[in-house]
Amino acid sequence: MTLTTVPPRAVREDAPRRVRASVRPWLYLSPVLVAIGVWIYAPALFTVALSVLDWNLTTPPTGFVGADNFARLFRSADFWQALAQTALYALALLPFSTVIPLGLAIMLWQRPGRASTVYRSLLFLPVMMAPVAVAVSWKFMLNPLVGLANEVVGWFGVPPVNWLGDPSTALVVIVAVTAAKVTAFNMLLFSAALSGLDRRTIEAARLEGATSWEITRFIVAPQLAGTTALLGTLSLVLAGQWVFTNVTVLTQGGPDGVTDNIYYRIYTLGFEFFETGTASAAAVVVLLVFAVAGIAWRLVRRSHVPR
Amino acid sequence: MSRVRHPLRRLAPVAWHSTLVVVVIAMVFPVVWALLTSFKPANDIYSIAPFSAEPTLDNYARVLADWPVVTLLGNTFVMAAGVAVGQIVIAVLGAYALVHFSPRSRGPILVLVTISLAIPPQALIIPQFLMTARLGWLNTDAGLIVPQLGTCALAVLLLVQHVEALPRSLTSAARLDGATPFEVLWHIVLPGLRPAIAAVAILVFITTWNEYLWPLLVSPRAEDTTVQIGLTQFQTAEGNDYGGLLAAATLTSIPIIVVYLFASRRITDAFLQSGIK
Repeated sequence: MTLTTVPPRAVREDAPRRVRASVRPWLYLSPVLVAIGVWIYAPALFTVALSVLDWNLTTPPTGFVGADNFARLFRSADFWQALAQTALYALALLPFSTVIPLGLAIMLWQRPGRASTVYRSLLFLPVMMAPVAVAVSWKFMLNPLVGLANEVVGWFGVPPVNWLGDPSTALVVIVAVTAAKVTAFNMLLFSAALSGLDRRTIEAARLEGATSWEITRFIVAPQLAGTTALLGTLSLVLAGQWVFTNVTVLTQGGPDGVTDNIYYRIYTLGFEFFETGTASAAAVVVLLVFAVAGIAWRLVRRSHVPR
Repeated sequence: MSRVRHPLRRLAPVAWHSTLVVVVIAMVFPVVWALLTSFKPANDIYSIAPFSAEPTLDNYARVLADWPVVTLLGNTFVMAAGVAVGQIVIAVLGAYALVHFSPRSRGPILVLVTISLAIPPQALIIPQFLMTARLGWLNTDAGLIVPQLGTCALAVLLLVQHVEALPRSLTSAARLDGATPFEVLWHIVLPGLRPAIAAVAILVFITTWNEYLWPLLVSPRAEDTTVQIGLTQFQTAEGNDYGGLLAAATLTSIPIIVVYLFASRRITDAFLQSGIK
């Protein structure tokens, strides 16, 4: 309707330019949209489709089987154990994804300077270390016969422990190995959040006579609530991703399945037993859990951090 | 009262330093121990002494002779460099468009990108593997690289924050002078973004170098796989040769740790200045 008020020449010049201007963002955005569309979102939908088909990797799909794959999955005790162990593992990891990295980040933030920068770089190192090399190093130290770990506990009169072969210690080891990496990564993200805090507010509170505990409790903590909730959720994803190598190298899910977890189970179902349907059903369960966690996180954040 | 402690001076320096040193040692100890052990002779390998009386390079000589370490390092380098370059191109174009064209779809696109970061990769491996196989990319560099471009979310989110932090006056002046959007990107945004791009590129390079699951699935053959898979294959084949195994582990991780230590300030700053909350 505005076109009628614009002289005809301008219309001729402007129309193609306007078309170009509206197409241009999509030109620049297409690589990222194609990358995540083709390799993340399409596979996510594809997983859902596979979960209702009868198919293994070696023969063509034989047809729609509805909820059969889920039924088979839910009937297997292994799946429930893997799920329970994943929950236990995630729970054990929770302090390493929230309180501990937050404490480290606050320590570094309290004393800015060269030393802090060096410590921060060193503390981030576990994220950068090759996971297979780390796992292999642990395996060497935990050798039940001659490893360093048993030598050290021997000093305290503890008899040799079969760290990776004993169901009561194997999960502890897996948690400890992954914890370093989770702590390191979240320490940096907490540091990023802290560096975004307004130091003037804190300075003002200090001048008003607030104690450092009061400042931490009433000024710093509320501003970090959102980050903490996000990292608690995000570290579940990362913990699943990062534990895979450790389980493969150290325990292969054993002993008695205590170090099995849902992520490792998807891999073994799909690529060792070639049960594509059942593995996809397990993957759909994981996707659903994360969808629910994501929505819950949005709701919590919306109610606690008004913006 | 002036007796109130400054909030930035809570712990005594001794307690502060010793806590951090203990945490750092606890975190890196296994790898340091592996490094020290790799120089020990076979009869001394389980000794508790950190340094052997007769340090040796035998373990390295054996690994270099028996294990295709050069091929593996080459394959890993190609994969990591390919993914880093690809993700940077994707992220720079995307971040620039999201900030400077401010499309109405900006919010939903950022949500899509963020969600893609939160989807566990193991939940997607079966279709990703089938797609890669259908494309005929198993055991190829393309199969190692292209599917990993889907994990560009972190690069995009970090660069969006850095593009946003660039001063607007420069870009709008260039636009008024008649520069095309691509010229603005090339001559003004890219130079200003260089430190952030370097940091994110190194971060992606190292993460890809350390990737284990994907090369295991699509390129497991000894001659075209990466160092991580090669290391587990070495472990399976020579399980009891711990000297060799730890020497191999050191060879595969030291280059990366050196790169990181040189670039660590840039990488940590890329996060610190990203405005993540």
